[in-house]
Amino acid sequence: MGFFTDDLFQLVWNGLFVGSFYALVALGYSMVYGIIKLLNFAHGDIYMLGAFIAFVLLGSTIGLIGEASLPVLLLVLLITMILTGGIGMFVERVAYRPLRGSPRLAVLITAVGVSFALEYGIRQIFGPSPEVFPFRLSGGSFDVLGGRVSVTQIVLMVIAALLMWVLQLYVMRSREGRAMRAIALDPQASLLMGVNVNRVISRTFFIGSALAGAAGVMAGAYYGSIDFLMGFTIGLKAFTAAVIGGIGNLYGAMLGGLVLGLLESFGTFVLGGEWRDVFTFACLILFLSIRPTGILGARVAERM
Amino acid sequence: MAAPKTRDAAAHGAYIAAPAPLRPRPAPLSGLLAPQRFMNGLGLLLFIAALALPFITASPYVISILTSAFIYVMIAMGLNVVVGYAGLLDLGYIAFVAVGAYTSGILSTQLGWSMLETIPAVVVACILAGIVIGGPTLRLRSDYLAIVTLGFGEIIRITATNLDVTGGASGIHGIPTWSFFGWSFADGLDLGGIHFSAKILFYYFVVIVALGLATVGAARLSRGKLGRAWKSIRDDEDASEAMGINGYTTKLSAYIIGAVWGGLAGTLLATHLSAISPPSFEFLYSALILMAVVLGGMGSTPGVIIGALFVSLAPEFLREFSEWRYLIFGVLLVVVMIFRPSGLWPANAVLPFLKRRKPPAEAVAGADAAVPSDAAARPHAAVDAVARPDAEGAPDPAGQDPESTPPDVSPAAPAAPEQEEVR
Amino acid sequence: MSFTPNRRRPLAPAAALAAAAALLLAGCSGGIAGGDEGGDGDASGPIKLGMLAPFSGSESAFGDYMKNGAQMAVDEINEDGGVDGRELELVVEDDACDATASVAAANKLVAAGVEASVGGYCSGATLPVLPIFDEAGVPMVIPAANSNALVEAGLDTVFLINGTGTQQAQATLEYALKVGATRVAVLNDNTDYSKDLADSFVEQAEEEGTIEIVLDQSVTPGEKDYSANVKNVIGSTPDFVVWTGYYQEGALITRQLIDAGYAGPILVGDGSVDKKFAEIAGAGYTENVVGTFTQTPDMLKGAEEWIASYEEAFGEAPGPYSTQSYDAVRVVAEAMKNAGSTETDAVVEGLRGLDGFPVFSGPLTFTDEGTLSSGGFAIVSISEDGTFVLKDDLQD
Repeated sequence: MGFFTDDLFQLVWNGLFVGSFYALVALGYSMVYGIIKLLNFAHGDIYMLGAFIAFVLLGSTIGLIGEASLPVLLLVLLITMILTGGIGMFVERVAYRPLRGSPRLAVLITAVGVSFALEYGIRQIFGPSPEVFPFRLSGGSFDVLGGRVSVTQIVLMVIAALLMWVLQLYVMRSREGRAMRAIALDPQASLLMGVNVNRVISRTFFIGSALAGAAGVMAGAYYGSIDFLMGFTIGLKAFTAAVIGGIGNLYGAMLGGLVLGLLESFGTFVLGGEWRDVFTFACLILFLSIRPTGILGARVAERM
Repeated sequence: MAAPKTRDAAAHGAYIAAPAPLRPRPAPLSGLLAPQRFMNGLGLLLFIAALALPFITASPYVISILTSAFIYVMIAMGLNVVVGYAGLLDLGYIAFVAVGAYTSGILSTQLGWSMLETIPAVVVACILAGIVIGGPTLRLRSDYLAIVTLGFGEIIRITATNLDVTGGASGIHGIPTWSFFGWSFADGLDLGGIHFSAKILFYYFVVIVALGLATVGAARLSRGKLGRAWKSIRDDEDASEAMGINGYTTKLSAYIIGAVWGGLAGTLLATHLSAISPPSFEFLYSALILMAVVLGGMGSTPGVIIGALFVSLAPEFLREFSEWRYLIFGVLLVVVMIFRPSGLWPANAVLPFLKRRKPPAEAVAGADAAVPSDAAARPHAAVDAVARPDAEGAPDPAGQDPESTPPDVSPAAPAAPEQEEVR
Repeated sequence: MSFTPNRRRPLAPAAALAAAAALLLAGCSGGIAGGDEGGDGDASGPIKLGMLAPFSGSESAFGDYMKNGAQMAVDEINEDGGVDGRELELVVEDDACDATASVAAANKLVAAGVEASVGGYCSGATLPVLPIFDEAGVPMVIPAANSNALVEAGLDTVFLINGTGTQQAQATLEYALKVGATRVAVLNDNTDYSKDLADSFVEQAEEEGTIEIVLDQSVTPGEKDYSANVKNVIGSTPDFVVWTGYYQEGALITRQLIDAGYAGPILVGDGSVDKKFAEIAGAGYTENVVGTFTQTPDMLKGAEEWIASYEEAFGEAPGPYSTQSYDAVRVVAEAMKNAGSTETDAVVEGLRGLDGFPVFSGPLTFTDEGTLSSGGFAIVSISEDGTFVLKDDLQD
């Protein structure tokens, strides 16, 4: 086990790369939870929808202009983000809003239902076997400190970092962001102060889903195959990342994603690939037992 | 969880009566039409029908799918304890079924134990699993629990895939059928000129254990002191804690009992399939059991039975819809939660024709109805915070009851005319 | 449980029910009282052959290939006058690749009175049905499922006509030696079939001795990112990589391996031999990929006629396991002809007695375990258009 030699950089890099995907998906989990205390179980499936929407869009674009390039992919990424954001809003409006104020159990069960409907709806349309993404990012790669880094990975991580930075600015600097933070603190008081709570919640769903959709497109372009269950595991992992970072906390979600990526990378190296998910969920249970508020989470009252 | 000793009432045995109603209410139907008793009868009828079935058709196909379906009913009743009574969402319930199936499978194939001997081991394994997973997380908010149980389900499945003792990815095969003190179902049985084959014997065993004992057992548990504590925690944890119920241990007990139910059902499943492998314990199957409970009616015995039969038999009857099944289930879950959250057969439902009441007897002025005649006979210490006046269930060993009858229906007390002033 | 002493349980309904049940039983002879528990079909109608295959679920694509292949053999045999003057009839049920569903479906076939089974695709769904068929006296000729666990069940009514993991591993080893590999890394996807194949290969390679197994690992199926596993492979500096799992993960791993700088040959098992493999891996990533595969009609010399008649009958090209299913029916029919009966023991004897019966994978003789005496695996490589074509039939 000499991973403090040439393996170290590779392990760290792999962990950060996978972690940035986790972080993007975890943000949506965390924001929604922070505002209405809802675990949107279907969030991982929005990631999957993003991949499939981009698959269709790219397919038709390539049919029209015959060639795809990075600018085209970025345009598709934007359109997909808007569409998945819209789907997220729609899901909230149809499935979650009627249940606001219901017991938490009812909302959770509904979320499981939404997740199922999305997964198996896509399955009915595209079939059970994986689809091949029509556009693949490929570029050179170079050696750094005994590890391999590809240009594609750098591009995707830069996109992810940009998205997170913009989100951070939006939440911290804009009026709407302030409204979000206010509702997270005290929905009743915000309502009395004239904040349109419903609209802000819708917007939160839009942003969270758009980020998950973006992660889905990037995964499709990098890995090349997409299937209807691809959101299930990453949804779980993103939740784990959100918990590790401190759920409801923006920076926590980003940090948690990267930490989980690193944990998995090193855990797999030590334990072997078949134990990776066991290791991840064991981390989740451990965190919840020892520090349920996560690394950055503030201490909150248990029940409200 | 002893009832709090209210200082004066308990000490002096005073019975605190509620103010009497202004006008007498008609009594509910009595005799065989009392809702509780009617449901018991109905349950008994179905139970006998299940026992008589092999005499009507002994086709291996019918026997096989019904055996699966009844095992499924038992699994759903176990989840119902956790979700329906205690209000804890468990998204990895199939893990307990896996623990039970694997424990008995390994012990019977590797060490040659009989299935009966593996039962204590299964119970211990399930209690341990329940404590390991419930212990740390039940102190947290209930939605954390949902995801943690989901993670736990995956941990169990992946671990079973990775270990050699569980047969790795191909699982365990050659699990024996049940045997009792040297006599095995495989030997068959001849009674009155009829030959009962191993499959039919096992079917009977499942009917008696899964329907007769497990389902009725779970239903009756819920009406006992513990069950009422579960429900009060479900409905308002703060208030229950204020009344002296320890929320944590109560939830943990529901969780462990649910785990044991699942594990024992898993043992039956292992015997029924004779071979088990990790893919049978994917998240999908946990979700399907949850659907059975939710669609039928959380906390409602008839509802859960109907739901479980529907979910397990649907693929047999709707072959052409098998691809659409999960999509439809998903949409149904959302629709049911929004429009009818208590499910198809809500826990407090009373069949419409049982809601009739006797015409009111001679009106009694309510003002002087101070203390009911049986007040003296009431056990004083049982002024339980959450006790309902009709806490006694009908002592009917075979039958299912609607979980809680509306408070104005008292199945335990046959309605005698002098008891008509409602307490 | 509390009993209120002053209440009596009404016994009337129970008594009435019991009486009704007794009446019911008396008037009925279809149940156990009538001694009817399904079982043998009558000896005059058509001979029913049962087939369990996946028509729903993740593997549903294979169900039709298998059904059509078997149907084709049934039609041909019936045109030639059937078996001992009786026609064959194929009864197909969906096992959805799921244990519970397959147990129900197998019982359905037994109730329908099948004389032999010619199905079985997923090992996990096939294992639980072995005792059901065995008990009902239904010999099984399994066209696709090939886990060693099926052999280990030790039933003398089970015959596998797809090469087992052991035989495929043999072909893999043979090819690895042929290209002069010395350091081999083995990856499996933690499914039954894949692990089986990997273990078999490692065992045989260690026995053979010239090849060093530098890595033997499982990956988590259904994922997209295998960088951690790839890293381990690269770290073990192999000159030959064996992947024994399915194409979904295999293609991703291949791509990530080559991206990470691996340039040697990659050999994949027959679960990865699929057109999608090349699509997912992408252009330029499959030059060094070869696979082990049982010969398909388009690889076999002289099978054009068979393919043409298949396409004519079903309007689509044959796929994986079409030929094996076709052969399974022919093998069963031949055994029944030789035995002159459809009695279980006679058919099993007939199957054991087959000696060099010509099937697609070559002349067929069963070993004592009910497996093929000779493998029938060939090495295929990926052509320009992404399809697998024969590279080396390992016959020298």
